[in-house]
Amino acid sequence: MDKNKFEKFKQNPIVKKIGLNRIVLLCVMVLLYLLFALITPMLKANANFVSFARLISLLKYAYFMGFLSLGVTFVIATGGIDFSIGPVMFCGALVSGYLLTSKGWPLPVCLIICILVGTAFGLLNGVLVSYAGLPSFITSMASMMLAKGIGSIFTKTQSVSWPQAGDPNGWFRNLVGVKVGTVEIPVGLFILIFAAIICAVILNKTMAGRYILSIGSNREAVRLSGVNTKKWETLAYVICGTLAGMAAIFYVAKNTTVLPGLGDTFNNEAIAGCVMGGTSMTGGIASISGTLIGVLIIALLQEGIMAMGFQINYQYIITGLIVLTVVYTDLRSRSRRN
Amino acid sequence: MGDVILTMKGIDKSFPGVHALDHVNLEVRKGEVHALMGENGAGKSTLMKVLTGIYSKDSGTITYEGKEVEFTNPREAQDAGIVIVHQELNMMGHLTVAQNIFIGREFMKGKLIDDKKMNEEAKKLFDQLGIDIDPKETMSRLTVGKQQMCEIAKAISHDAKVIVFDEPSAALTEAEIEELFKIIRDLRNKQMGIVYISHRMDEIKVITDRVTVMRDGGYVGTLITKDSTKDDIINMMVGRVIYEDPKTESAVPKDAPVVLKVEHLNAGKMVRDVSFELRKGEILGFSGLMGAGRTETARALFGADPKESGDVYVNGNKVDIKTPQDAVKYGIGYLSEDRKRYGIVVGKTVAENSTMASLENFMKGMFIDKKKEDEVAQQYVETLKTKTPSVDQLVVNLSGGNQQKVVIAKWLVRNCDILIFDEPTRGIDVGAKSEIYQLMSELAAQGKSIIMISSEMTEILRMSDRIVVMCEGKKTGELDISEATQERIMHAATLRD
Amino acid sequence: MSEKKKGNAFTNNPLVKAVGLQKIVVVLVLILLVVVFSVASSAFRQYSTLLSVLDCTYYLALLGIGVTFCLITGGVDLSIGTGMFCYALVGGYLITKQETPVIVGIVVTVLCGLLVGTINGLIVSKGGHAPFLATLCTMMIVRGMGAIITGNSSITWPSAKAPNGWTRLIFKMDVGGTKVPIGLLWVLILAVVMSIFLNKSRPGRYIIAIGSNKEATRLSGVNVAKYQTLAYMISGVFTGLAALAYSSAFQSMIPGGGGGIELNAIGGAIIGGTSMSGGMGTISGTIIGVFLMSVLQLGLPMVGLQANWQQVIIGLVLIIAVYIDVLKNKRLA
Repeated sequence: MDKNKFEKFKQNPIVKKIGLNRIVLLCVMVLLYLLFALITPMLKANANFVSFARLISLLKYAYFMGFLSLGVTFVIATGGIDFSIGPVMFCGALVSGYLLTSKGWPLPVCLIICILVGTAFGLLNGVLVSYAGLPSFITSMASMMLAKGIGSIFTKTQSVSWPQAGDPNGWFRNLVGVKVGTVEIPVGLFILIFAAIICAVILNKTMAGRYILSIGSNREAVRLSGVNTKKWETLAYVICGTLAGMAAIFYVAKNTTVLPGLGDTFNNEAIAGCVMGGTSMTGGIASISGTLIGVLIIALLQEGIMAMGFQINYQYIITGLIVLTVVYTDLRSRSRRN
Repeated sequence: MGDVILTMKGIDKSFPGVHALDHVNLEVRKGEVHALMGENGAGKSTLMKVLTGIYSKDSGTITYEGKEVEFTNPREAQDAGIVIVHQELNMMGHLTVAQNIFIGREFMKGKLIDDKKMNEEAKKLFDQLGIDIDPKETMSRLTVGKQQMCEIAKAISHDAKVIVFDEPSAALTEAEIEELFKIIRDLRNKQMGIVYISHRMDEIKVITDRVTVMRDGGYVGTLITKDSTKDDIINMMVGRVIYEDPKTESAVPKDAPVVLKVEHLNAGKMVRDVSFELRKGEILGFSGLMGAGRTETARALFGADPKESGDVYVNGNKVDIKTPQDAVKYGIGYLSEDRKRYGIVVGKTVAENSTMASLENFMKGMFIDKKKEDEVAQQYVETLKTKTPSVDQLVVNLSGGNQQKVVIAKWLVRNCDILIFDEPTRGIDVGAKSEIYQLMSELAAQGKSIIMISSEMTEILRMSDRIVVMCEGKKTGELDISEATQERIMHAATLRD
Repeated sequence: MSEKKKGNAFTNNPLVKAVGLQKIVVVLVLILLVVVFSVASSAFRQYSTLLSVLDCTYYLALLGIGVTFCLITGGVDLSIGTGMFCYALVGGYLITKQETPVIVGIVVTVLCGLLVGTINGLIVSKGGHAPFLATLCTMMIVRGMGAIITGNSSITWPSAKAPNGWTRLIFKMDVGGTKVPIGLLWVLILAVVMSIFLNKSRPGRYIIAIGSNKEATRLSGVNVAKYQTLAYMISGVFTGLAALAYSSAFQSMIPGGGGGIELNAIGGAIIGGTSMSGGMGTISGTIIGVFLMSVLQLGLPMVGLQANWQQVIIGLVLIIAVYIDVLKNKRLA
């Protein structure tokens, strides 16, 4: 009887439209928020999870994670993986930040360079994976080293601090939030949602998206249909890299200082957000809205763990466990279907 | 023939949506070669998988050496003396021959593997079989035929009492087949029970004592080979006479223009100096035994695999086809023999698959014109009579024949004038088969030119206007349909240097 | 044409065949590198440099030996770099902060490796996860664990002069003021043992067979999951041993560190001829490969390159090594 109800619920047109997976995710998100709201005051006196400031902080984390996650969604859709996005984001922030602060280059140029650094790494990964035929995970790990190395070399192993809000060059911070009186308007959220809509349109409505998803489902059949699979696969990595470059701007707008040689933990969180949202690690299936919700959950977790006074290290462990569980569920449901 | 060693009775097995085996019987005696025949998808391999414990049966009994048995994995069957020599060779290419033969039961000297003894024992096995293979050679360096001999040696080393050969001759040269038959006769004389699965009628007559025929997962009957004719067996296999009379005359006018000319095509070992012409509205059959290089020729022509040399002319113009993209640009479409791997994108819908090769024609600015896409896909669903609830159905949910139609639609949407059908009816049920035939005839009548690669002689004789025969990578014959007979094609297909 | 024939004659030489062409080339490159570095830098010619190169080689070789088993099954273990740090941190924490006997610290270090290796193995073989993803997740988990257990503080194993400092002498003996790299002997012994294990024992044989054709191995009645798990367990244990080598050679370890070291070890293995696609690999090749990696790592700064170039160069070396592997497999197919 219960099962019948569930089936009925699944067949409901609204449910179908949104996707069961995403409904579950949204529920998880809300439950998690309530959980943190309940537990935080119990663990730490005077601590309160439910506040506008926390929400803003949470969102700021979600901005750059969101861009990383949206990008890697395209790569995972082709059946590949990109482990270089975190360090590439840092590399972009370091290189452009160095040019801005130490060489005095104009800010708009630096922001563009920041994005282009990401594009360049995406192109490198794409060419190595699709044209040279290297496994994506090892290729992207190698370019992760390249990104870390180049970032460090460029800044001579110094950290780079981007301009503060009051500085003449500080206006880029408005991309994240504009203060009107005492209230901060989350501009970044609108930008992220806008970016997500564009990504969703690319993935579902354009030739590039169609081919990227099809390559993930059956590369050889697409190639034998006379499609230049190498080009489209490379494009997925280029999109991913470019979005990682954009993520860098949102990262420095939140965090100001970038240290050389870091960034790899963000890979895993971005991938976690992506697979949680229903994008399959085996390729061919991807959901941009799912990724967005996944990222919000990751950001929520991060904020919650901090609010409860735990170390960030728990975040690593939880992310690892999430990916394992989600991918395992995906594998299980797939093998059941076959 | 001796006593009964193995009896399978009333074996039933269902997979979700498919009744794979419907109360099948099989009886094997000592010292007999028992053919198991049936068309593709008749359930022969499934039956053997049930026997060796790869699948569990739903009902029925297996009696082996007088006791009822049920194996849960191939290892148990092996230990009891039932061994399969697989169609796809199960070998570890990086290991040596001897290491492969004794995998899972290595000779030990204390804690370490005694490779020397294994080599000696393997050598003894090969001597016993009268084959010359170096046990120390790496498996992947051997020819397919030699690899198969190793599989047989492995089977014998298990003290097998029943050996199942699953289409053993598919990839062998004639000399290797001779060698294989010698070995099989030897094994028969040693009172082993042998199950021989094959499609080749001539082999069945030569080597087997009895024939059990299966059709659509069901048991049809058992015959004594020497008392039955080819037609008896064929009739049992097909159930009704679905094979129309062969075409007797080419439907192509003598002056039809040549749309495709291939000259001196070379690509690897399997395509050596192949030249042929294809005329407008013609169905050009490509016949030959398995491994004759027909698929390889098609793939090299289509740009799917690299070619070494050779010229290709489309409508009289020399073209340079390096990738499938180039081929499609020149109006060539390729339907692969392996639909699941090379034909359809399983995770995509019927509409999306239909426009896969011509998506640029379905763009409205930067975006895909979903409405137009669906309309065109729907139109082809109707013309090809594809059975699908809607064009938004994932192709993975369609049957083989309907999947094939989606692939055909893909090339028709692209408006290709030259179509290469590689084994177009493989794994497709009988009804869908004749639909595909009819479709091909219609396409040819509309002026499309078709290259049809087929291993089924009846299919070749029924559909082709002209027939190219290949053997070991070379073109060994070209016949007009009016002069083609099964014998002449077979003769050319076995013409070796 | 004659050139090609000559090449064939060379590659067909039984000695060349036995050693493997790739290994010969790598050894030649190695010799070339040593010569170039020695000519370019007087510092490189010092005995102390040799000791540093060896210090670096020990842990890389141990990681390399372990991960070679995973690579041969057609998998990979990305948790080894971070894992090595985590286990050394845990062991060091017990010795220095909890004042347990040193031997307990050592045993726990290796057991940690075994535990994580077993988990990796089970996730891959029973859970059906892609090895790179599974071990990436455990990499994150051990990274967090190491930091949490040590309370987020860096750990230094007792120094050679301290009462508990004998662990420092396991790999570097002090004979009358001269440091003798005794660790080389241990690593070589382990390499020989594991090489015999790989080529002459049943588990080793099955590990190769799984990498060559998993389904065929399964159909031959081999418990594939068991031996696949074993490969990751070996990798885990050797990561534990590498943690000992690392902590005996180097100063303090920072929690959360070690990421990226796995790529040096994997890169070394692939340079030595182990294939990313499984079925093929030798311990001796891995040892040569990681030695090349250590020479690069120490030699590059000495010829005037900024230390950060190491990462770039190692990244490039990795790409080239994998590309060669891809080409090799293409030719075999």
